[in-house]
Amino acid sequence: MKDSTIDTGHNTTHGELHAELSGKFDTTAMATEATLLNPRFYTTDFDEMDKIDVTPVRAEWDTLIAQMKSDPNKGHFKKNADWDHVDWAGMDPHLRAEFIDFLVSSCTAEFSGCVLYKEMKRRGNNPDICELFNYMARDEARHAGFINDALREAGVAVNLGFLTKAKKYTYFRPKFIYYATYLSEKIGYARYITIFRHLEAHPEHRFHPIFKWFKEWCNDEFSHGEAFALLMRTDPKLTQSWANKLWIRFFLTAVYSTMWVRDHARKDFHAALGVDIDWYDQEVYRKTSAIARQVFPVELDIDHPRWIPGLRRMNDAMLDMERGRKQGGLAGGLTNAWGTVRAMTAFVGLYLIPVKHTTPPASVRMEPVY
Amino acid sequence: MGFFTREKEQVPCTVEVSHRFEALHAHVRFNNGAVVHPGDEVLVHGAPVVAAYGELVVEDRMATITRATWLERQWVRLTGDFDFMELCEFSFSEELAV
Repeated sequence: MKDSTIDTGHNTTHGELHAELSGKFDTTAMATEATLLNPRFYTTDFDEMDKIDVTPVRAEWDTLIAQMKSDPNKGHFKKNADWDHVDWAGMDPHLRAEFIDFLVSSCTAEFSGCVLYKEMKRRGNNPDICELFNYMARDEARHAGFINDALREAGVAVNLGFLTKAKKYTYFRPKFIYYATYLSEKIGYARYITIFRHLEAHPEHRFHPIFKWFKEWCNDEFSHGEAFALLMRTDPKLTQSWANKLWIRFFLTAVYSTMWVRDHARKDFHAALGVDIDWYDQEVYRKTSAIARQVFPVELDIDHPRWIPGLRRMNDAMLDMERGRKQGGLAGGLTNAWGTVRAMTAFVGLYLIPVKHTTPPASVRMEPVY
Repeated sequence: MGFFTREKEQVPCTVEVSHRFEALHAHVRFNNGAVVHPGDEVLVHGAPVVAAYGELVVEDRMATITRATWLERQWVRLTGDFDFMELCEFSFSEELAV
């Protein structure tokens, strides 16, 4: 990490944005670092989304929307006496770097969700869909604001300079958005609640007060996931056709293996929490898979003897790829290429582990119970 | 939409940036109802929008939408899906050596 900016890894996704080092974006805090928020910009087939008809799930849909409208977490994201002092200066530098990466990634995730949902609300003509995306955008902006405040305390200012930079819009098919966003929301719930329950049992590891807010927070993630589950239920082909089952399997493998690799690169963060990363990731997969039975007809077999060895091979290969990229030159290029081949082989190996087939229940709705 | 040429449109827009505790968000709305399609590029003119902490800034600006060519649009539609991991927001950044 450089002195004056954090390379969040989000900064050059489209190769068009660069961090602007500037304290002027935050005149009040003791900002010593600036991090550019770089949300994604994409379009989708808005006509297809307008055609969604929630009639088959109307009763469950109305209940969920009513719950979102009542805004149960309205008062939750406030700092109160539970927000105890954080000794940022005394924090181990490695832990601090990883924790800030965690906060910036989380903030970017919420912010990107907000941009996407707002865009869908604005472009759509279907009142059911617009109402849903309006509430979800509200929640994401609120979460982002809360994380931003924690970052400010750490002396990190977010820079919203991306607005006046050229932005190119890419495209995703609606079903890709459903699968990916559904999984992100549910996995987000599983990640937050697993940490929350762990720290409940081991409060001595709670090195920052933000973890105390995770329980109610992740209930928002949970209900956003519910909304996407209902959306997928309006069209059985989305989850039942042969090709789409393969896509779901692909998304599950990609998301689970990515999580494994990224988490295993944050050893200090997890050590400070007193969390064994292997255990944590398996626990998150287990919860996510149990929840995803509500809508996905296939489930990865995370207890298969080839599962964890495959993830480890993937992790080693990805580390070599990054090492090669950073090294540069011919030798670096070869290291990177060989790592890529191994990562792809590991991925195919994970993808080909036989999946478990399940039958989603008649009623899709679930409540957060972990 | 040009087949080979990129067309540019000047569009009035409203920029809204909230840099507050209760909400952190930033949105651009085209005031004439213009919509963005796959492969298009949007540039909001003027200096960076600066919202100090606690501020909500709403400004009218001009934006240039550079329309993708027909070919680019098809290409982005075909290949955009490959970036699907961008849709998956969880865990940490993709950087492995923090």
